[in-house]
Amino acid sequence: MRVIVADDSLLFREGLTRVLEGAGFEVVGQASNVAELDRILAQENASVVILDIRMPPTQTDEGLVAAKRIRRQHPEMGVLLLSQYVESHHAFELLGESPDHVGYLLKDRFADLNEFADAVRRVGNGGSALDPLVVSQLMGRKRSRDLIEDLTDRERSVLELMAQGRSNDAIASALKISPKTLEAHIGTIYSKLGLEPSGGDHRRVLAVLNYLRSS
Amino acid sequence: MTAVQRRVIQAGVLAVVALACLAEVLYIFPIRGGILWQLELPGGPDVVLGSGFIRSFSLRQWPDVLVEITPGLAFAFSGLIAWSVRPRNRVGLLMMGVGVGLLVGVQPGAKGSPAFSELLAQILSPWPAIDYPWVSIALSIVGALGVVMLIHLLLAFPGGRLVSGVDRALVRSFYILLPLAAVLGEAAMNVSPEALGVAFSSNIFVYANTVPNLIYLACLVLGLALVIRRWLLGGRARRRSLAPVFWSVIPVVFAFLPWSVIEIAGGLSLKGKGSAAALFDPLSTAAHLSPLLLIALPVGFLIGLLRTGLDMSSIGDLVVRLSSGLTPDQLQPALARALQDPSLRVLYWLPTLGFFADLEGRRVELPDPDSERAVSVLGDPTAPVAALVYESSLVHEGQLLDTAAAAVNMALENARLQVQLRAQLEEVRQSRVRLVEAADSERQRVERDLHDGAQQQLVTLLLSMQAAKAEALKQGDRRVAELIDANISALREALDELRELARGIHPTILSQAGLMPAIQSLADRSPIPVDVKGAFGDTRLAPPIEAALYFVVAEAITNAVKHSKGKRMRVQVGRNLGLATIEVSDDGVGGADVSRGSGLLGLTDRVAAVGGRLVVTSDAGKGTTINAEVPCG
Repeated sequence: MRVIVADDSLLFREGLTRVLEGAGFEVVGQASNVAELDRILAQENASVVILDIRMPPTQTDEGLVAAKRIRRQHPEMGVLLLSQYVESHHAFELLGESPDHVGYLLKDRFADLNEFADAVRRVGNGGSALDPLVVSQLMGRKRSRDLIEDLTDRERSVLELMAQGRSNDAIASALKISPKTLEAHIGTIYSKLGLEPSGGDHRRVLAVLNYLRSS
Repeated sequence: MTAVQRRVIQAGVLAVVALACLAEVLYIFPIRGGILWQLELPGGPDVVLGSGFIRSFSLRQWPDVLVEITPGLAFAFSGLIAWSVRPRNRVGLLMMGVGVGLLVGVQPGAKGSPAFSELLAQILSPWPAIDYPWVSIALSIVGALGVVMLIHLLLAFPGGRLVSGVDRALVRSFYILLPLAAVLGEAAMNVSPEALGVAFSSNIFVYANTVPNLIYLACLVLGLALVIRRWLLGGRARRRSLAPVFWSVIPVVFAFLPWSVIEIAGGLSLKGKGSAAALFDPLSTAAHLSPLLLIALPVGFLIGLLRTGLDMSSIGDLVVRLSSGLTPDQLQPALARALQDPSLRVLYWLPTLGFFADLEGRRVELPDPDSERAVSVLGDPTAPVAALVYESSLVHEGQLLDTAAAAVNMALENARLQVQLRAQLEEVRQSRVRLVEAADSERQRVERDLHDGAQQQLVTLLLSMQAAKAEALKQGDRRVAELIDANISALREALDELRELARGIHPTILSQAGLMPAIQSLADRSPIPVDVKGAFGDTRLAPPIEAALYFVVAEAITNAVKHSKGKRMRVQVGRNLGLATIEVSDDGVGGADVSRGSGLLGLTDRVAAVGGRLVVTSDAGKGTTINAEVPCG
């Protein structure tokens, strides 16, 4: 899978490239700012762009702005935004209306290499990867209104993993349950939260996130 | 006003005066059928003269002319003299206005000076569009303005400015009402019912004339009432200076009253015109001679103005007020009144701060003296006490200014102490704002340093360890790989802690996305569920206000988590009427004490620094509620 890395620190870019290549990705370009990133995007064909939220010149949210733009301009390309802090506000701004081809993770998530590689792959294949921290904050927000209280602990774990963008197989193996049991859990969650049953993984993420986002 | 403008006005007044005199003189020697009096008035002279006092054309002789023009001349020339002696005092201008009004204006009933209006009609005869009714309407407006200026003059004398708001409002309304009444009356008399194409009864027509006259009379009576009120409220000192003017008003009232009485009585009770004169013959005679009484007034004004200069008596009033105790707030208005300059400002010298300040303690630069404003610094030049900033026309009243300044010297010293206190408070307030702002930007800088420095380096280090682990695994050294793994975990914990620390110092989401997302983010992270409600509207608040309110919520949540034992929190935000409000409440044990917890105390200071207020309600057993409100424009 072809990947482009954008971050203003050379050391970080090099380090991440090495980690990604170790995990079997092909890094086809490195950019230190948004202009460079645009040049590479014009020349190279890649499945995923990994970029930091803080970029020159103001070091505030240039990365987020660029990510949103790239999502519009290249809908088929995955965009994975990294940040030292994760904020649900930024997550929703990045996701917009569709949780396809998009990810938003803490910058040091690569430390768990398997999970990180899985997230990059999901984003590259059209899925989504939302940082567990964001998801748990959103769950907390709902908890303040008694809506999540009805779920069992197991059901809550399933909901969190669904919101992160995991597939059924990944959730089942992470929780060490059978796919059949998982299906049953998902059915219960949907009926408890009053959600319409939806089709594939992508649509499911959207439904769950919309539910968590609604106030 | 420039010298050229002054010349133009003076020349204009003189020209009008000359023209009026010429008209009167020509009127005695009418060259009937000749060049001058070709104009045949529609309906004959009676119609022009209206229903009231009738003066026959043919009877006009030199005495009539003198009666006609003397008051106007007296006012116009007294005004010219007064203006040249005190060019910045409006009294002169007003007197000239009254003079012109008397000379060429048409008064209701008395019909002022038909001679001038006929001369004007003659001059304008090449332009038939400007026919006689228009000329007499215009002249009746001039006449009405003359009367208003007389009232204005009586109320503004001797300073030339209307000091009280009531006077200003009434005089302004007179300037509109009287000309309007004059126009109505004139229109009623000059337009024949037939011309309107409506079958008016003659009665309606007579009433149409009476109403404007009633307005006239009402304004005169009201104006007189104001003058009497001024007299009564003025105190003994002022009465003495106003006396000549006041006494000269009485003949003037008698000069005007007969006209109005005759007009109204005539309008109400009489159908025919001739009988009005017959019934009110004695009054008519009085009215006929009454204009001569008007001479008393301009002379009285001129003498009053020249003798007293600016009203010294008001200094007497000032001293009386001072002796009864004057607070610093009342000092500037009292001086302004005494010197008859509403724009007068008292500025206080603050030796410790080294600048002049107003009563609020705000720094004020002394204006450069120019044609408009003048400055007098009071006290020793090396150690001034205060400065007076006033209209430069007062410069001519040096003695008066000195007297006033001497009178208020003690009060000024007291006021200065108060101002100094206020200035220091203001200074402290501003320095508190600066401190908070400096702290905020310092926090922001520290956060950025952490982010770009330590955090970034640790993440990069994490990457190297990741690579080292991969290398170890490649070489089959599982023990080293496990060792590195343990270090990676420790490093990630350090990163988490560092991240929380940096966020506490300054949340980037606050500056990037605004107060509402930042508060939501606080709520999302809170171990106690927090419900956030409300909004601050579409526009962002000023950064210091956002920071203050953010830290209120952050501290409130931290405190609740630590001490309240609450299960649930609520944050309600709002913005209306220029006030941003936040209420943070929990359902815990309450009993929080602002004075003990340095966190809450710091918040109180922070909110106060942006001009807001923080109230903590925390009765034992009833939870804690923190209310903050900040003015946000």
